Amino acid sequence: MSPSAAATIRDRVQQIETMPAIPAVFLPLMKLLGSSGEDVKLDEVVRLVSYDSNIAGQCLRVAASPLYGLAKPPESIKAAVLTLGLRRVETMLLTCCLGQAFPAAKWVLDPAVFWRHSLGCAMVCRKFSERLATADVEKAYMAGLLHDLGFMVNCIAFSREFAVAMERACQQEIPLSEAEQATMGFTHCETGQALAESWKLADDVVEVIAHHHAVEQSRKARPLVALVHLSDLLCRMRGLGYGYYERHMVDLMADPAWAILLQEHRELAGVDLVRFTFELDEAVGEIHALVGTIFGTLAPA
Amino acid sequence: MTIITQTAAASPALAKSIEAVDPAYRQIRDLVYKVSGIYKSEEKLYLLADGCGRRMKQLGARTPRDYWDQLTAQPGRDGELRHLLNEITIGETCLFRSQPQLDALRKVILPEIVAEKTKQVTKRLRIWSAGCSTGEESYTLAMNMLEESAKLLQGWTVEIIATDLNDHSIETAKAGIYGDYALRNTSEFYKRKYFATIDEKKLQVLPAVKKLISFSRINLQDDSKMLFMKGMDLIFCCNVLIYFDGVSKSKVINHFFSNLNFGGYFFLGTSESLMKLNEQFHLVHFPGTIAYWKPSLKSGKL
Repeated sequence: MSPSAAATIRDRVQQIETMPAIPAVFLPLMKLLGSSGEDVKLDEVVRLVSYDSNIAGQCLRVAASPLYGLAKPPESIKAAVLTLGLRRVETMLLTCCLGQAFPAAKWVLDPAVFWRHSLGCAMVCRKFSERLATADVEKAYMAGLLHDLGFMVNCIAFSREFAVAMERACQQEIPLSEAEQATMGFTHCETGQALAESWKLADDVVEVIAHHHAVEQSRKARPLVALVHLSDLLCRMRGLGYGYYERHMVDLMADPAWAILLQEHRELAGVDLVRFTFELDEAVGEIHALVGTIFGTLAPA
Repeated sequence: MTIITQTAAASPALAKSIEAVDPAYRQIRDLVYKVSGIYKSEEKLYLLADGCGRRMKQLGARTPRDYWDQLTAQPGRDGELRHLLNEITIGETCLFRSQPQLDALRKVILPEIVAEKTKQVTKRLRIWSAGCSTGEESYTLAMNMLEESAKLLQGWTVEIIATDLNDHSIETAKAGIYGDYALRNTSEFYKRKYFATIDEKKLQVLPAVKKLISFSRINLQDDSKMLFMKGMDLIFCCNVLIYFDGVSKSKVINHFFSNLNFGGYFFLGTSESLMKLNEQFHLVHFPGTIAYWKPSLKSGKL
């Protein structure tokens, strides 16, 4: 990336910073997600969300969806946390906040597609890390959810340039990051990193956002970056990609990321990747429905 | 509330999976996977339950738990598992059964094979449909290759070797006559271009398609015959190995590995796994489908 491109990214990300749409609860909530201590978190989450009736309302609407099969929809965030579990509610809140922070009216990338991919990747990261004894499952989930933050930046701050990249990717059926590099000279990894750094997100999450397409280049948190990289590829191969066909063969176990993850978590060798893939398909419908409920878009028939 | 209703209506599969499923079905699903490599996902668990239901009726088993007992503890359980496998795979036979497999073949694999073989004098593509049953897969492959014959495969010879153990199936396959059910995934485009109308319910594959295929009888467990099936670029073997025990399965898969050219691909059924029975094949993903790859010499991944 050229120095002038880096300066442009910085400038435009600063413009995003001054956008009034970012909910006040967003950054404190992000911080909270990185901390531990369930009891403290519960009260804190409830307190934070009570500041923003919009977010609270959206969260309750999701909780009332048939997905959760509740006999009686929760009437308050606290009730939602108690019935659905803190983690699920946190995820909903985070997603609702992000959805509100980036008004999706003129997105180049279909926001429903973007959210399906992000939530899908988050879910795969969680499922993957649940099979690895020492992995931080919540961290993995959050890293998966935020890994493509740069696409939001592109949609808002580089919409014209990104539209060209998107068109090229669809036409040539190539990975979106390749098309970005070819047409813009930089990718969502750089734009995402710029925003994540200015939001002071945790170092390892920034690392994921910056290097999930080139794991070898990451210096910190390599196993987490590798995990997100593999989950991202798997999502794109199983119907949770960017909404177009990618002419792509993926050999996950021969990917350098697999070796990096294996080095840290030997039990990866025992994962039945085919069954894991089939199980992931089970969750695709759930992801579609969840995104439909949060963003009011219809799931495809 | 509108949104919620829309979501539920738009996802009947999801609604179906939410309906409580007897936990015994999940146990049966896991047993079926362990023994055969067929995985029925949560969304398709109702198909497994339907199959079990039909078997339970035959056997007079009252609950899924009773049926589980018959599948695991009773004498004759291997036979029963075979019946169940028949039940849950029977509806899968049709033309154009897996579009993701065909997309992978035409959009990713063929361009790669063509590029790899471009310097060879004879431009020949060999595809084996192993366990072709009544021919649906073989004809689907043939029609797709014909579609490419004016594009990627211009000047190429395509040979589809279709084999099955059952003589009766082979005869049916050779006739190439199919009804609505087998043609349920076949578009009007293909029906018009590659079929002749026999009567209002049946269509027959045109000779131009048949010309690409040679049908013959082969027992996949016949080692001497298997050794001769050389030089394959692609092997399709869908829902056949599920009936084999581990040792036979592993032997057949090793044969397939040697039958393939370097850089060739092996496809199983859409919900079928090789279960790590061969460490030489690389498991690879394409959009919506998986395959097993015999690495090319160039890739250095052998």
